[in-house]
Amino acid sequence: MTATMTKPPVTPVPVASRAPRRKPPWASKIAVNTALLLATAYTVLPLTWLLVASTKSLGDLSGNAFTVTEFHFFENLGDLASADGGVYVRWYLNSLLYAVGGAGLGAFCSVACGYAFDKFSFKGKEKLFGVVLLGVLVPTTALALPLYLLASELGVVNTFWAVFVPVLVNPFGVYLARIFSASYVPGEVLEAARVDGAGELTTFWSISLKMLMPGFVTIFLFQFTGIWNNFFLPLVMLSDRELYPLSLGLYSWHTVVSAEPEYYPLTITGALLAVVPVVIAFLSLQRHWKAGMTSGAVK
Amino acid sequence: MSVQKSHRGAATLLMAPFFALFLGTLVVPIGYAAYLSLFTERSSGLGFGGTETLFTGLGNYLHALGDPAFRAGFGVIAGYVLGYIPVMVGGALVLALLLDSTLARAKRFFQLTLYLPHAVPGIIAAIIWLYLYTPGLSPVVAAMREGGLTWNFLSSDHALSSVINISLWEWVGYNVVIFYAALQAIPREVVEAASVDGAGELRTALSIKLPMIQAAVVMTVLFTVIGALQLFTEPMILNGANPAVNTTWTPNMYAYDAAFRRGDYGVAAAASILLALVAALLSFVVTRIGNRKGAA
Amino acid sequence: MRHKIRTRLGAIGALAALGLVAACGGGGASGGATGSSGPTEITFWTWTKGSAEVVDAFNALHTDVTVKFEQIPSGAAGGYTKMTNAIKAGNAPDVLNIEYPVLPDYVSQGSLADLTPHVGELKSKFPDQIRALTELGGKTWAVPLDASPMVLYYRKDFFDANGITPPKTWDDYKAAAAKVKQADPKARIGTFFPDDPGHFASLAWQAGGKWFGTSGDSWNVSIDDPKSKEVADYWQGLVSDDLVRVQSAFSQEWNASVKAGETVAYVGASWGAGSALRANQPDQAGKWAVAPIPNWGTPASGMYGGSTFAVTKDSKKVEAAVKFISWMTTNEQAITTRIGIAKSTMYPAAADMVPVAAKSFDNSFFGGQDAYSVYKDAAGTIKNGWTWGPSMFATNSTLKDSFGTVTSGGTLTDALGKAQKSTVDELKKRGLNVS
Repeated sequence: MTATMTKPPVTPVPVASRAPRRKPPWASKIAVNTALLLATAYTVLPLTWLLVASTKSLGDLSGNAFTVTEFHFFENLGDLASADGGVYVRWYLNSLLYAVGGAGLGAFCSVACGYAFDKFSFKGKEKLFGVVLLGVLVPTTALALPLYLLASELGVVNTFWAVFVPVLVNPFGVYLARIFSASYVPGEVLEAARVDGAGELTTFWSISLKMLMPGFVTIFLFQFTGIWNNFFLPLVMLSDRELYPLSLGLYSWHTVVSAEPEYYPLTITGALLAVVPVVIAFLSLQRHWKAGMTSGAVK
Repeated sequence: MSVQKSHRGAATLLMAPFFALFLGTLVVPIGYAAYLSLFTERSSGLGFGGTETLFTGLGNYLHALGDPAFRAGFGVIAGYVLGYIPVMVGGALVLALLLDSTLARAKRFFQLTLYLPHAVPGIIAAIIWLYLYTPGLSPVVAAMREGGLTWNFLSSDHALSSVINISLWEWVGYNVVIFYAALQAIPREVVEAASVDGAGELRTALSIKLPMIQAAVVMTVLFTVIGALQLFTEPMILNGANPAVNTTWTPNMYAYDAAFRRGDYGVAAAASILLALVAALLSFVVTRIGNRKGAA
Repeated sequence: MRHKIRTRLGAIGALAALGLVAACGGGGASGGATGSSGPTEITFWTWTKGSAEVVDAFNALHTDVTVKFEQIPSGAAGGYTKMTNAIKAGNAPDVLNIEYPVLPDYVSQGSLADLTPHVGELKSKFPDQIRALTELGGKTWAVPLDASPMVLYYRKDFFDANGITPPKTWDDYKAAAAKVKQADPKARIGTFFPDDPGHFASLAWQAGGKWFGTSGDSWNVSIDDPKSKEVADYWQGLVSDDLVRVQSAFSQEWNASVKAGETVAYVGASWGAGSALRANQPDQAGKWAVAPIPNWGTPASGMYGGSTFAVTKDSKKVEAAVKFISWMTTNEQAITTRIGIAKSTMYPAAADMVPVAAKSFDNSFFGGQDAYSVYKDAAGTIKNGWTWGPSMFATNSTLKDSFGTVTSGGTLTDALGKAQKSTVDELKKRGLNVS
């Protein structure tokens, strides 16, 4: 992944304001950058291994880590597409559907709700918002089992909806949306719209939502990765593998590797392909990521 | 302006979808689990003649709490938190401060590469690391052996550290980005004033910058503790490889085991409720401590 | 504007529904209604080696019943949770793979269909000892695929080169273990599998332990009986003296150490050669041999794992399912397919099928040795009178928990004591009689 980046631009250090009075000794400059490089090695090398491993045949995989006697990547891809009747492709589409559909719908609900929290005042608003914040603190995996028990009572276990609906709710998204709404949608705009006689919903739909778009993208991205990475919920809900998302599908392959070693290269190559969309989403939309992550931390 | 009546309709409509979901996928399931946790299945004789459902009050809670395996799960979480949080928060802080120092180069490149593992789904991260832990497959283990180190990631003594390492890999970059953003938000005049006073990079970092991003640190610790209680995916993968990581290693795994291996929904529900309660309690405590410190 | 929202949401909903429809088209446990003229379709989940090939063969030969097969992870690796999950959710397949130890668990949870009325003649094809493991509370719940006697697999080349003979008794095994380590400090004779209590149970079984029994309407539990403790002490000694490795069963780590020639023998069941050794170590073909499992004085063996096929309670196609199961377990072609084509080394439970299996077995992995004659002798020495309890998942959980500490201060004997206590507690909690 890192290879695609040509000469990373150096953040312009505000020289005028932050220039130290004496030039820092080059020794500490080297020390600092070496430390950062080491940390980078730690984060990047396992991914490099994944990349290299995906080009190996089964025989090479159990040999020396970085030697490849035959370049097997395209064969692995072919095997991946045909294994178990092409089920991997199915998982990929499922994941996309769960993640794109779920994040789109979920982010929309969050934005609408957060916007309402910001722009309207009503009795008990802050208390209600407190309840939403409490929802942020409920561990999602502790929730998966209760969800399963309920779904099982309702007879919807092992259906698309059992996995799709629970991931729509995103209390943290509401929290973010409220903050975004406060900073992106000026009150004067709303006032102007009101004076013009536009209804509140019209205003939201045709004016505010556009202004909130960067916030929507941020919330969407977070939810997208959350759903893409989701494992516990599908694990408890699904037993029909035609409904599996990638995470669960790869897990199911991983668990048969010891008896059926042919699944080893499939798992590796499948894992690499599963990482790609999230990495691309991250690289191309960095600004939005940061906006979401940091608005939680920096008040 | 008074609260316009007409706005109430709009507000309700905008909030309804979210709260419907909130109710249906959060409140109701928890309520239903709480209800289920009060019942147990009973059979009789040799047990091959079917079961009946009985009200048992807090029986399932007592059973879970009395089960050494469940309690041991919280012990594991405690050990994990004690080992993981200092390393993760400390590491992320150091890296963020290094990045923020005037000495660092290629800041965007470093942020990006440090963050990258976070884009990898947890289950895949765990699978990657499992292969990197396995002697005979792993270049890491091979390199360590060459260097005379015989650390076995998969031995039962190293279960906790092996899991911590996976979490660290996934999360350290994420937190670096958060801390770095917080550092960037510090008014430049403050840092400048310090350097005018003759404080070196290191002293500025420790005595000026660090206290100013306390809020971010507290938030991170809070979310990390909640995350720790949910520990499931990584140990689930190590489960088949490290003898110490058994099927009830964490409270979450215990609940999963109760529901799907032992078929005991009552105990599974009780364990989930207990876990959620502990999470709520802990986040309350952490925010309290954080607020007090922040105020002081 | 409201209209717009609706269309947008509608589009997403339609997209989702499309996915649902498409998703349902592929799977589903409940195809083919019974009354229709087409073949009855039944679904089948298993992890036993060669099942895909056996199902293909069955489908090619039969027009009245079609089988839809799905490979699932092995029971301990998540297959059982998947099965339990599906049974609770009401979308279980018709035919399940259940190993002997956990059959009582599934029966006592009310998950299986009573096969008694369907297996009248079929029953007689299996030896009493094996059949008894599938009959609980006076009813038949499953049909056995294989008996799974324990044997000793060893690297003949390594043993020969170092003048080590395959151990006859467990004392010999310990001595041989020391010789292996002496010959190559990196090599060990075998492995203790702390995550696989079933392996230990079969060793206790071989020694004459009896973990469960029934008297009248109540259970006797004696997981920490003297014989089992003896076995525990013995393996504790091997672990403490660093004569065997401690690794998870069938883990990548274990595979890698076998591959590297650092694990030179394996105490396992008949199926272990096909599923574990030959599948993962193709380059060690010809280097392995089989011997009877070491004993405590007189030749004896226990059963490790071993599969049965059961029909789920909600299945509407019990008859078709039994037809398929019966073919799989007692038809010559099914056995030749599984062993000859799919390279399984399971030892058939049905007596008639043993010669068939032996004939179709490719012995090149064992350098021409007739492994099935060793299996046959081992099967003949399986100790009588072993019963599995109704809560093996709970028992195994406790055993695993405490076995996991064997390298860090825990002892195997303690583990047995804990398992005894937790098992009795579990049975009482379920309302069963324990004496």
